[in-house]
Amino acid sequence: MTAVHDAPVPAGTHADDAPVALLAERAREARRLVVDMAAGPRGCHLGGSLSVLDILIAALHRAERGDGTEVVLSKGHAAAGLYAALHVSGVLPENPAPLYGLAGHPYTGHPGPKVPGVRFPTGSLGHGVPYAAGWAMARRLGLQGGLGIAVAGDGELQEGLVWETVQVAAAQRLGNFVLVVDRNGGQNDGLVADISPLPRLAERFDAFGFDTVTVDGHDLAALTEVFAGDRAGADRPLAVLADTVKGKGVRAVEGKAASHYVTIDAARAAQWKRAIR
Amino acid sequence: MTPTTLTPPAAPGLSGRDAYRAELTELAALDPRIVCLEADLGGKKHPFQSAHPDRFFNLGIAEGAMIDMATGLAAAGYRPFVSTFAPFAALRAAESLKLTLGYLKAGVTVVAPYAGVSGAWFGTTHHCLEDLAVLRSVPGVAVAAPYGEDETRAVVREAALTGTPTYIRTGRNAAYASLPGGDTDGGIPPVAWDARGDAGTPCLVSVGEEGARLALAARERRPELAHAHLVYLDHARLARSAAELAGRHRRFVVVEEHRAEGGAAEALALLLPGSEVVGVNAGHDWPYEGGDHHEVLARLGLTTDAVLAAATA
Repeated sequence: MTAVHDAPVPAGTHADDAPVALLAERAREARRLVVDMAAGPRGCHLGGSLSVLDILIAALHRAERGDGTEVVLSKGHAAAGLYAALHVSGVLPENPAPLYGLAGHPYTGHPGPKVPGVRFPTGSLGHGVPYAAGWAMARRLGLQGGLGIAVAGDGELQEGLVWETVQVAAAQRLGNFVLVVDRNGGQNDGLVADISPLPRLAERFDAFGFDTVTVDGHDLAALTEVFAGDRAGADRPLAVLADTVKGKGVRAVEGKAASHYVTIDAARAAQWKRAIR
Repeated sequence: MTPTTLTPPAAPGLSGRDAYRAELTELAALDPRIVCLEADLGGKKHPFQSAHPDRFFNLGIAEGAMIDMATGLAAAGYRPFVSTFAPFAALRAAESLKLTLGYLKAGVTVVAPYAGVSGAWFGTTHHCLEDLAVLRSVPGVAVAAPYGEDETRAVVREAALTGTPTYIRTGRNAAYASLPGGDTDGGIPPVAWDARGDAGTPCLVSVGEEGARLALAARERRPELAHAHLVYLDHARLARSAAELAGRHRRFVVVEEHRAEGGAAEALALLLPGSEVVGVNAGHDWPYEGGDHHEVLARLGLTTDAVLAAATA
């Protein structure tokens, strides 16, 4: 563990006051942690963890408001990214990087509720979407604020459960349900475009009855703005199509399909981390 | 030898699924945490919807989403009851049950009518002879197969009061008179003794609506047989039931509308190594023919004659 891991970026700042620069520093620190996990004995799903990181940082920042917002990483294979984001956001006190995948610790390759800040087990793709929708439904039923935010992968949209839930969420007019798609274009065996393409995705969500917004999934200012609304009066759920890059932030793997699962040695990890800006 | 059977009331009461709906509707008047979710198989005149429209949700034909969304509701403090036919709840949504009722210990109750072959002529897709095997293998889930209105209401009440993850299987529309003592405010006993019988006599062990019906019919022809009815079938409670059974009898005929594998008989055989346990069940056949419920059961070998033959062998 390096010194920088011992001093995570201060968290707990009130969401509305936190400048994007602070979130950017959290994201950089989280990327270093993810690289550390790739350099651990198990390796990790590096590419997808790095593509989703900025989304998670911004969503967890929204949850810091304390209004009952729940963030569910449905693409659970990006657990390394989630653990890192939870740590730098102040939700997870201990540094998960040196413990990732090790016996006696809860930081498994797909996350579960033994990890502080993780409420639902995900990794079997699709399930996190209805968990978050159910959370949103509960908040609305109790006339409470807060969002149910699910973060899914674009490959994950091949799961029927996602669309089953999208149908239900629209029918139930869950305006406080937000489905973020980490659209990095990759999946386990190749490219989404080659295996099961997703043409006119925004139109699809629109046709289901969602509000739809497309953002740069690495633009923390844009993401923060998307998550800022309380959507109290909304009766259409929100789909956020976040265009991302697999391996984002680590030049050696950025945009490369081979970054899906990576195991590296300590020397390479140090080199990659130095290049994170 | 004096059988201890009390005469069941003449009135059959409500069917299992109607008893569930009635009881839950009453409980929800007292507990605002209770919400009722259906996957488009709750009927157009659901009493819960009439009484508590703000807490009733027909989520459409979306069983997996329904159970996962119920988990989100439970995490936020609600006490969701979800219902759809047993094959869709226990098999289509099995992974959701494993992760939520099991791993998460989510306080969700799944009520599954159309269990066994109660769908009768509706065909194989609407049958479920495997649900007990699936649910019994998920740790921490209370698995119940009540008989009659009183037991069904008691099981629903217990689930609502405790918040224990629960799976309740019922039949379709058949309504059976409750066994004496079925309306148990003080908790449901491990074994509901319909007839204790003399020590050493074969003991019928009935599971679920049709198991109980067949056992009762068998006792009408051979009243000296003992009859123990089991409401809960999860491992923890079945172990307690087995201990009580072993204290009185050594030969058991387990009657259940389920596959041979994964059912109560198989479990009891392991729990009662010093006893003889035989099963009368649906075996391995596929119920692909039409007919009413009893005819489909007979096609699978679930008859009063089969029960009596097993008790005699």
